Amino acid sequence: MLILGIESATKQVGCAIGGHEGVLASTHSARGRRHAESLTPQIEFTLGQARITIDEISVVAVDVGPGLYTGLRVGLATAMATAFGLSVPMIGVNSLDLVAFPLRHTRRLIAAAIDARRGELFTAFYRQVPGGLQRVGEPAVMTPDDLYANLQATGTECLVVGDGALRYRDQLDGMTKVEIADESLAYPSASSLVALAHARALREEFVQPGEIAPMYLRRPDAEANWQSRPI
Amino acid sequence: MNGETAILGIETSCDETAAAVLTGGDTVLSSVVSSQVDLHARYGGVVPEIASRAHTGLITPVIAQALVEAGRRGPDLSAIAATYGPGLVGSLLVGVSAAKALALTWGVPFIGVNHLEGHLYAGLLEEPDLEFPLIVLLVSGGHTMLVEMQGHGRYRLIGQTVDDAAGEAFDKVARYLDLGYPGGPIIDELATQGDPTSITFPRPMLNDGYDFSFSGLKTAVITYVRSNPDVSAEDVAASFQAAVVDVLLTKAQRAAEEVGATAICLAGGVAANSELRERTLDLALTTGFRAYVPSRSMCTDNAAMIAAAAHWRMQSDGPSKLDLGANPGLRLPFVNA
Ligand SMILES: [Zn+2]
Repeated sequence: MLILGIESATKQVGCAIGGHEGVLASTHSARGRRHAESLTPQIEFTLGQARITIDEISVVAVDVGPGLYTGLRVGLATAMATAFGLSVPMIGVNSLDLVAFPLRHTRRLIAAAIDARRGELFTAFYRQVPGGLQRVGEPAVMTPDDLYANLQATGTECLVVGDGALRYRDQLDGMTKVEIADESLAYPSASSLVALAHARALREEFVQPGEIAPMYLRRPDAEANWQSRPI
Repeated sequence: MNGETAILGIETSCDETAAAVLTGGDTVLSSVVSSQVDLHARYGGVVPEIASRAHTGLITPVIAQALVEAGRRGPDLSAIAATYGPGLVGSLLVGVSAAKALALTWGVPFIGVNHLEGHLYAGLLEEPDLEFPLIVLLVSGGHTMLVEMQGHGRYRLIGQTVDDAAGEAFDKVARYLDLGYPGGPIIDELATQGDPTSITFPRPMLNDGYDFSFSGLKTAVITYVRSNPDVSAEDVAASFQAAVVDVLLTKAQRAAEEVGATAICLAGGVAANSELRERTLDLALTTGFRAYVPSRSMCTDNAAMIAAAAHWRMQSDGPSKLDLGANPGLRLPFVNA
């Protein structure tokens, strides 16, 4: 089983291919061109690095968000079309699970915080359980102040990870039991996506391309902009 | 495949998710259009974020349906084409991303298509024996232009709107009169019950070059209704529509005479307007021009026209690269003479 993982829900664009043997090849561009321009050539390149042809892919995994809408949709459209074109199933993984994943060996509470722009964060909490991480509660949108209050309320040692944690570092740094994870872990990685998707693929937790549900967490702010525009 | 090209076209520039399969440049095997108009109606216009989300959900089912109806397999296609501009950037990206992924997956060429070029080819797709030079009146919610089509890929801009697009004027007048959205079909319907000569609205810039201006006409309608609150909406709709059509066709006819065109062809969503269609056909009876009025479904946004434009672009320019992105402000490549 070979999984193609596509991750473009944040400022970065990533692509990885892997399976039972772990990750065979991965690429990520942090300062490349915009997502739509970069992603397909990056998939082509990663296939070459892994020395496989695209029809050897048996599952397409994708980051379903939350994240930056435009990049997220480029990833979703690309992944769904690829899975449809290959007639293979998909696995959707949310971006907060992805940024928490590399911290799975810590015993501390993990807070994943992805920059949601407009002064807000996409957040979720995780704790270690045998075999991995378990999410505590549902992903949510909150302000840095809300996150601060939530962290205070837990009263336990906590590791905060994600580009949202970096952006609001000043507000979080003063807290005694809170540490911010290394910058190198701030973005969801395509390799983590393939690893997480592999575990789910073994349990056959597949969906069809038409069943992938993006996680936006915010409604489109339509009314305000449209009702008040001039004739 | 009989050596004949089969192109999958994809269109997501605004609020229609569309896919079509076209063979030989003029045979439509399938054309699927999923309209989001109901999603946007309560906002009185297309809401970009709502459109992008809807496209994301609809894109693969719409493509799948177009292939099934055409009875074609992806890997047997000659090319996959998608609109890459102009349009709403978030919407465009969904179609472009899906098209590039399918091209990579099936190992077939990808072609990025200019949406406006697609509209220009809609008439030729249905009427392949139309001859150049051709005057195309391209009127939609976002565009109003008079184009001389000199040959495949050779276009000269004769005139365009200096303010609102014709379709935009329809939407805004409908919104002012509280008629709902989209304005074009509503005013079209209402106008059939009204008297187009009852109110004399201005014909902006009628004898003045080839450019259009609809903002003043819209203001005139609003001013008139404000000072005559009891006027019948039917009469306003009919009179407003008559003014728009007068201006459009007067200029199109003059342009056709000037360039010695063989025919006048309508294109774009506003070309679905009944009055414009009838008056264009009338024009052909009273002048020496042929008039071509594409079917309504070919005037509004669809993917068959995108595949048709791709058919010619493939021959002249070859495929696009897989690093092509969306270009929301893309223009037609006009020649100067
Ligand atoms: Zn259009």
